[in-house]
Amino acid sequence: MTDIRVDSVSKRYGKHVVLDDINFRIKSGEVVAIIGPSGSGKSTLLRCINYLEPPNSGIIAVGDLQMDCEARPANTDLDRLRRTVGMVFQSFNLFPHLTVLRNVSLAQERVLKRPRKEADERSMELLRRVGLADKSEQYPSRCSGGQQQRIAIARALALDPKAMLFDEPTSALDPELGLEVLTVMRELAETGMTMIVVTHEMRFAENVSDRVIVMADGRIIEHGESAAIMRSPQTARTQQFLHAVRDR
Amino acid sequence: MIDTLSFWREWLPLLLEGLKVSVEVAFASIPIGIFLGLVFALGIQSKSKPLQALTVFVVELGRGTPVLILLQFAYFGLPSAGLALSSYAAAVAALAASTGAYTSEIIRAGLEAVPYGQKEAAIAIGLSRRDQLRDIILPQGLRIAVPPLLGFSILVFQGTSLGFAIALPELISRAYFVGSNTFHYMPIFVLAGLLFAAICVPATLLVSRLEKRLSRYTAS
Ligand SMILES: Nc1ncnc2c1ncn2[C@@H]1O[C@H](COP(=O)(O)OP(=O)(O)O)[C@@H](O)[C@H]1O
Ligand SMILES: [Mg+2]
Repeated sequence: MTDIRVDSVSKRYGKHVVLDDINFRIKSGEVVAIIGPSGSGKSTLLRCINYLEPPNSGIIAVGDLQMDCEARPANTDLDRLRRTVGMVFQSFNLFPHLTVLRNVSLAQERVLKRPRKEADERSMELLRRVGLADKSEQYPSRCSGGQQQRIAIARALALDPKAMLFDEPTSALDPELGLEVLTVMRELAETGMTMIVVTHEMRFAENVSDRVIVMADGRIIEHGESAAIMRSPQTARTQQFLHAVRDR
Repeated sequence: MIDTLSFWREWLPLLLEGLKVSVEVAFASIPIGIFLGLVFALGIQSKSKPLQALTVFVVELGRGTPVLILLQFAYFGLPSAGLALSSYAAAVAALAASTGAYTSEIIRAGLEAVPYGQKEAAIAIGLSRRDQLRDIILPQGLRIAVPPLLGFSILVFQGTSLGFAIALPELISRAYFVGSNTFHYMPIFVLAGLLFAAICVPATLLVSRLEKRLSRYTAS
């Protein structure tokens, strides 16, 4: 079971407190959406969970792996963390000098020490799953934004992670292209993947995610079942934010 | 005019031999120099402070010293340390050292031009520091550095003419030899200049074309 636990996590840049005592738990197989205004610390929170940014204090636990944020992380723990948790970025960040297939195979060869042929077979399977097997020999620059993001999802799935983090995966995309990415994410959620999704797609938050976390100014200001938060937000801040997003 | 042409025809073979030496020295010192540049660039980015400081010192020394002095040091200075080099080897050593110092900056700039998201993505898929560098940062950073490196290589080729100071029988030495024997300095140096230009001008054009082609494969 790969539950995720975030306990009293704080993160500062200099004096600027970006995450202030964040606490939540996610059960294996749950999909949680994080919403909130820009600058509220959503990206930083995701980046802290897989230690792209080491938090200053608190505990991050993923499955039986527990990271004490005040201690210097052991390399073996970091390796395990990154194998357990996949990440998808707003700007895709595919490797432009590698073919689509190599993008997906690289980590399998380097991290899992899989032979190339086996890695490529697994990559083709993942690319089929995101509907892009025919692009395997192309370079990413030849693919649309939506296709690139689906490739990025396949790349993140290549290490068979137990949880996936998505940082505004559709924000850089036109609505139709965003839709094809959301479809892949919905399918992934249906397979029982544990997912944390930072998003401005309120329909995804409402219909696909089980719970919603609302952040503002580095804190969680509201947290609950998706339908409840979307229909009857408790804080003025959340109401305001939902209005602003829906009016767009 | 007719005189100059027949004068040129007479001495062209000798100058071409000099050009050959220039090309050979350039082709030997450029790859060695760029390899040194890569080593220096990685040294400067190293996490070890002493290694970083040592590299910065060597690079600044290499960039601060005129190539002419490096050449003379390699040719006249090293023998007193028990290492006697031919003028050919001394020229290669000095030009490679200078190339290493200068290209380390070009390569470092190339590596730093790789968008940070590339490194983050590499970390997120669990690559070790070594693999991040080898598979993601170096291929992209070096590709960015290729046009300026080639541009610098053209300068190194022109720099072989300094070999004249240590009796390297390259193009300018030969032109000088012809000049002092015939007293027609002007026409022979014009011919030498034309020979350099015959290589450098097309090379420069090729580099700028290559630059346009390579820009297609870099991250946005
Ligand atoms: N590397 C950094 N250095 C300094 N400040 C940062 C850095 N990254 C983010 N911040 C600051 O942290 C705050 C939260 O940023 P972020 O997590 O990106 O918010 P969100 O994703 O919700 O828009 C912002 O005020 C931002 O300026
Ligand atoms: Mg963000």
